[in-house]
Amino acid sequence: MKARMSIMALVVIISLLLASCTPAPTPTPVATQAPLETQAPTATEVQYPPAPEYIEIGASIPLTGKFGSLGSQVKVGYDYAIADINADGGVYVAEYGTKIPLRLTAYDDESDPTKAVSNLEKVFTENNVVAYLGGAASGMHAATTAIAEKNKVPYLGVSFAWWNIHQRGYKYLFSPFPKSPDQARDVFKALNELVPTKEERPTNIAIFQEKTDWGNELGGLFKADAGPAGYTVAYYAEYAPGTTDFSTLIMEAQAANADMLLGMPNTPDGIAIVKQAAELGWEPKFIMLVRAPDAATWGEATGTAGDSVTMFAGWHSGENFDGIAEINAKHQTDFSRPADILVGPAYACVQILAAGIEKAGTLDRDAIRDAIAATEMMTVMGNVSFNADGTGNVLNPLVQWQDGKMELVWPADQKTADFVYPIP
Amino acid sequence: MKKNNIIKLILIIVVVALLVVLPLVIKNDSTINLVILVLLYILLASSWNILGGYTGQTNLGHAAFFGVGSLTTRLLWVNGVPFLLSFLAGGVVAVILALIIGAPAFKLRGVYFAIGTLALAQMLNLTVGNILPEMSYNPDLANYQLLPRYYLFLGLTLITILTAAILVKSRIGLGMMAVREGEDAAESLGISALKHKLIALSISAFFAGMAGAAFAYYHVSFYYYMPFGSEWTFDPMMMAYIGGTGTIIGPIIGAVFFVLLKQLLVWNVGEYHLIIFGTLFILIVLFLPGGLVEIWQKFRTFLTKKTKRRKKVLLKATIQNEDGIQRE
Repeated sequence: MKARMSIMALVVIISLLLASCTPAPTPTPVATQAPLETQAPTATEVQYPPAPEYIEIGASIPLTGKFGSLGSQVKVGYDYAIADINADGGVYVAEYGTKIPLRLTAYDDESDPTKAVSNLEKVFTENNVVAYLGGAASGMHAATTAIAEKNKVPYLGVSFAWWNIHQRGYKYLFSPFPKSPDQARDVFKALNELVPTKEERPTNIAIFQEKTDWGNELGGLFKADAGPAGYTVAYYAEYAPGTTDFSTLIMEAQAANADMLLGMPNTPDGIAIVKQAAELGWEPKFIMLVRAPDAATWGEATGTAGDSVTMFAGWHSGENFDGIAEINAKHQTDFSRPADILVGPAYACVQILAAGIEKAGTLDRDAIRDAIAATEMMTVMGNVSFNADGTGNVLNPLVQWQDGKMELVWPADQKTADFVYPIP
Repeated sequence: MKKNNIIKLILIIVVVALLVVLPLVIKNDSTINLVILVLLYILLASSWNILGGYTGQTNLGHAAFFGVGSLTTRLLWVNGVPFLLSFLAGGVVAVILALIIGAPAFKLRGVYFAIGTLALAQMLNLTVGNILPEMSYNPDLANYQLLPRYYLFLGLTLITILTAAILVKSRIGLGMMAVREGEDAAESLGISALKHKLIALSISAFFAGMAGAAFAYYHVSFYYYMPFGSEWTFDPMMMAYIGGTGTIIGPIIGAVFFVLLKQLLVWNVGEYHLIIFGTLFILIVLFLPGGLVEIWQKFRTFLTKKTKRRKKVLLKATIQNEDGIQRE
């Protein structure tokens, strides 16, 4: 027993020492340029205070665990943007009269909100970050945005369409990403533009609503926006995430003469829905599943059943804004494919932050927050501005799977392929 | 008091005192958060150990009690019930759940009990996710303070360890260990296996529920179903095994090792942390099947053997020396 108690004491003491010591932060492996030296002021020039070596940014990203595939895309976007900005010397900060490079300290939270909170506190206290960049997925953002609010640190995050999180009165949260109201509005707007002849459009909608808070939000908005846009909700059903048998929902939708399906399933549920619909012979003219087809493996997993399914991805590598070609080229070199759908929005977050810092002219967090709130700029995802609740006014492209490839079909000035309608 | 016990007591007092003054000295939220995480896992691993380690019942549904405690406290607290009442309710509801499922669950033995408890946690996870899919927000974010949460976790952890230490030396604790060593043999000696297993489950569930209650107070925002996730069973169980089951110190060492090492690897080696941690875990399982507590035992055995060997050599040399003198 004495031995055990001694071990216990030793372990606890060591742990305390380890916990209290501050290991050197591991910045993400982005190509950072050596900080530019402040030019020596002449007698007539303004005397600037010495500039910090870096502008510190912190992030907790799910690189492993259930949101690992999303987080990995987001991280690539951040890394590319920081490397590009630093290649140009960094961000000009008027307070110091020089450009200062950005440095991102990002830790993996293993898709665990508790660890994400711990990571954000760590970069706040030890790196004195001027801003946070978000991870991925609503549940993770819900935990981390609260920490940003508590610490009064500007937070830019993508990869979540949940609108409700913006209705908490948070002042420091900004998300240049399409939200549920945009998705509900744009699905009908896109369809009406893509199928101009009213008689050819689908009329009866089936909505498969996932029983989650975001599912509830988006399902309700689909339902509310359908009528004014000229559509009828013929069938509305809720299901629990993880459901494997959708045959009842599909047959009831069929019986209600639904010729269009709207939903927000996760990837496994989405695969099950389209496969079972095909097996049961239900052939809606149009399918829009907000989340499931985001997965790069969708085409392979669903085969012909998943072809022509549409989604709101938030961004597409085929958009024609400045900087996308370079991102695609870099992504092609690194991963042998054009940029994934979250790379662009993540890249835009860094662009917005850099512009915010430059506009603020200082590294004061509140000044940066105010500058971000007043954003009106072109990014790799088009023009971005923010509403008072931190939601972004951004392009919401409709993407369709065609022959195993994601093609951008709406809006017309951005499209990479013609819209396939009705589903063959 | 024996010299050994005095040293032991001094060490415990030093460690507790260090933990008490830690947030006053290191005013760093990041460190306090990390220590809270360690304390939370010590709580969970120690409470799991009461049933799994001392009574030999592999409970794969520990998350059910943690989740129920968290859910009860959070719901009551956000709806205006005084915090202390909400907090205690977390533990009480977990015990009620334990008693309800305990009697039928203990009709199952071995692997069937493990599967049964796993099913319970999964059922609750899905049910809560269906009924309460929404996010729970801290009702008073503007006044959020880390310090009271730290002391809540610290106090709770100390109470759990103390309870476990007293329990294993008590008559009930001996009964629990007798059940672990051989249920039929224990029954033949007049020890009611069901009674002891139920007591162990209730105590284990109570502290898991209280851990959930503290978690509900600590976390700013989370989904109600999140604490029912299987990781809240498997991580504490792994910690108990890494440290050494059926010991008081084992789960503590396991939790400290698991959380700190993992976090230090995350912070210092980035994406490779899982490979390194996984390798270390495999090595521990292979070379220290009894957990990290075995290191000290092996070291002591090694020292004892070395001392014996040295004594033997010395004795031999002395005899030879004496022989030489006699011959002269």
